[in-house]
Amino acid sequence: MADFEETLYDAVAQKFRIDKLYFENKTDHQHLMIFHNAALGRVMTLDGIVQTTEADEFVYHEMMAHVPLVAHGAPRHVLIIGGGDGGMLREVAKHPVETVTQVEIDAAVVEMAKTYLPKHSAGAYDDPRLKLVIDDGFAFVRDDTGHYDVIIVDSTDPIGPGEVLFSDDFYAFAKVRLAPGGVIVTQNGVPFFQPDEVTTTHRRLVRHFTDATFYCAPVPTYYGGFMTFGWATDATELRGLSPTIIHDRVERAALETRYYNADMHGAAFALPQYVRAAMQSE
Amino acid sequence: MTERHVTIGAAAELAAHYEDLVRRYGSPLLVYDPAVVRQRYAELQRALPDVALYFAVKALPSEHVIRTIDALGGGFDIASGGETELLLREDVFGRRTIHTHPIKKDAEIRSALRYGATTFVVDNDYELTKFVPYRSRVGILLRVSFRATDAVVDLSRKFGCAFDELPGLLDRAVALGIHVKGLSFHVGSQCTDATKHVEAIEQCAALMQARAETDATPMSVLDIGGGFPTDYHRTGLDLEDWCAPIRAALDQLPADWQRIAEPGRALVAPAVTCIATVVGKSRRDGIRWYYLDEGVYGSFSGQLFDHAVYPLQVLRDGPVEPCVIAGPTCDSIDIVAEHIALPELEPGDLVIGHEMGAYTAATRTRFNLLPDARFINAEALY
Repeated sequence: MADFEETLYDAVAQKFRIDKLYFENKTDHQHLMIFHNAALGRVMTLDGIVQTTEADEFVYHEMMAHVPLVAHGAPRHVLIIGGGDGGMLREVAKHPVETVTQVEIDAAVVEMAKTYLPKHSAGAYDDPRLKLVIDDGFAFVRDDTGHYDVIIVDSTDPIGPGEVLFSDDFYAFAKVRLAPGGVIVTQNGVPFFQPDEVTTTHRRLVRHFTDATFYCAPVPTYYGGFMTFGWATDATELRGLSPTIIHDRVERAALETRYYNADMHGAAFALPQYVRAAMQSE
Repeated sequence: MTERHVTIGAAAELAAHYEDLVRRYGSPLLVYDPAVVRQRYAELQRALPDVALYFAVKALPSEHVIRTIDALGGGFDIASGGETELLLREDVFGRRTIHTHPIKKDAEIRSALRYGATTFVVDNDYELTKFVPYRSRVGILLRVSFRATDAVVDLSRKFGCAFDELPGLLDRAVALGIHVKGLSFHVGSQCTDATKHVEAIEQCAALMQARAETDATPMSVLDIGGGFPTDYHRTGLDLEDWCAPIRAALDQLPADWQRIAEPGRALVAPAVTCIATVVGKSRRDGIRWYYLDEGVYGSFSGQLFDHAVYPLQVLRDGPVEPCVIAGPTCDSIDIVAEHIALPELEPGDLVIGHEMGAYTAATRTRFNLLPDARFINAEALY
């Protein structure tokens, strides 16, 4: 079997050995693979880009779920856009929320993930609080009437099916779907190689939200160091919570995690200078 | 127009082979022999040992050819979404492709990126700005125009910037934050010799080296395009000899530069043989006419679009008379050969077209809704 060589950048690329190919789909102008790699467990790639691996998905999913949920303090209704692999749902379900609405554009992705990436959802798709909607995320935030305390945009790369989830209109509609005191977080790429993504997202988010920034976590198979998560809310106090409050909340939540903890929560908002520069870039 | 090479008669064994293929698979046929591609690929590798070969898919976009090149470890030069779809179906990873069409829709750039192509060719300022949204992901080759006056197909009129535009485009790319990793050129196809290739290599190399003194990210890729000829006229053309001046010019480049070529015709032209059948005959103004089941709207389309003059062969031997060979459509332009002399043919006789792999099936039309010539792989007959 050939190696998988990532095609995210022309000048540099990471390469994974394909030890066993479990699943491949080449319809709808896209190329999805799930394979096993000795070091990383099961790896899912889409259009030549690593989406998730069993070995390091915890960093991504824990940081994208627990940071906004703990910062909010008392989330009752959560909206996940995308996240078909189920990892985000698994982490959100660790909180005592009332409802989780997940909007995935493709029902086949959910079924495929349950079959080939079962550790990601780890049974979370059976959670009675879940309302799974098969719809375009953009259409959902435009047409839905509900309000959510936390919105998590677990999208693919902006060049591809996830494109509209990075658009100005999407952020505008998503803001309407936020309950008072709510926060939206977004997947925003690896700024060391993709500073433009930080610049563009920041420019769009500041138009709609009083507090628009990023927080960071290094996901090893997202090559290039820190990745950024967009953070957008009108509840400016959510970002400045005292360490004591965060520690109390994390302790009370009794989360079982491998990356996230109260210290990482606060530290994640410390941005390297090159990320700040990208935010301020025109 | 250059004289067409015609072979009268065929060895009994070969004639029987053609007749057997038509009995089994019908007519017209395009018979693809992967062994010829392997041989030509090896010849080109020997002729240009440090050059990475990217097969120009446009020449013959067939899954059979893709598989042959893939097995040889070759790369692929693509120019459209349809070509990326074909490669995706054949499990060729995008890393092994370069996208060489100088003018692209945004959607085309995005689909090529999703497929995994990250090398793109650009030849003007407007096209350069299209890559600003993708600048973190791509490496650009600037295409320069070098026109070979002796090329049968001129590829430097429609595309390629003037050499003196290069410094301005390079500065512009730096200002836009777009990485130009090298230069490319296409002197034209089916040149009589490699003089223009050599001139282009020397000029590009001089500019690349001069810019390396000043630019923060120096260029390190030189794409010498295609244009390697095939022997349509049976002159005994030797690819290695033909390439020798190019090899010598490339040897002068810094060893760490990447050299790329995009052979299409040279790899596949000799690998495909067309077998057509005489379906009717007449005499017009005293000249003998034969009508085939394949013509210039079909596999012989390259005679119009590509200016190729394919060698023809008839199986029958005997005294010759002047004749015209026409294609099957209603159009009077559909003439395969004129001013040739053949023995008297009869309906059912076969006419063989050689060197018919490049820009033949690729450019055929749907005119008259005639069926396409069946494409068969000589190594996968059943």
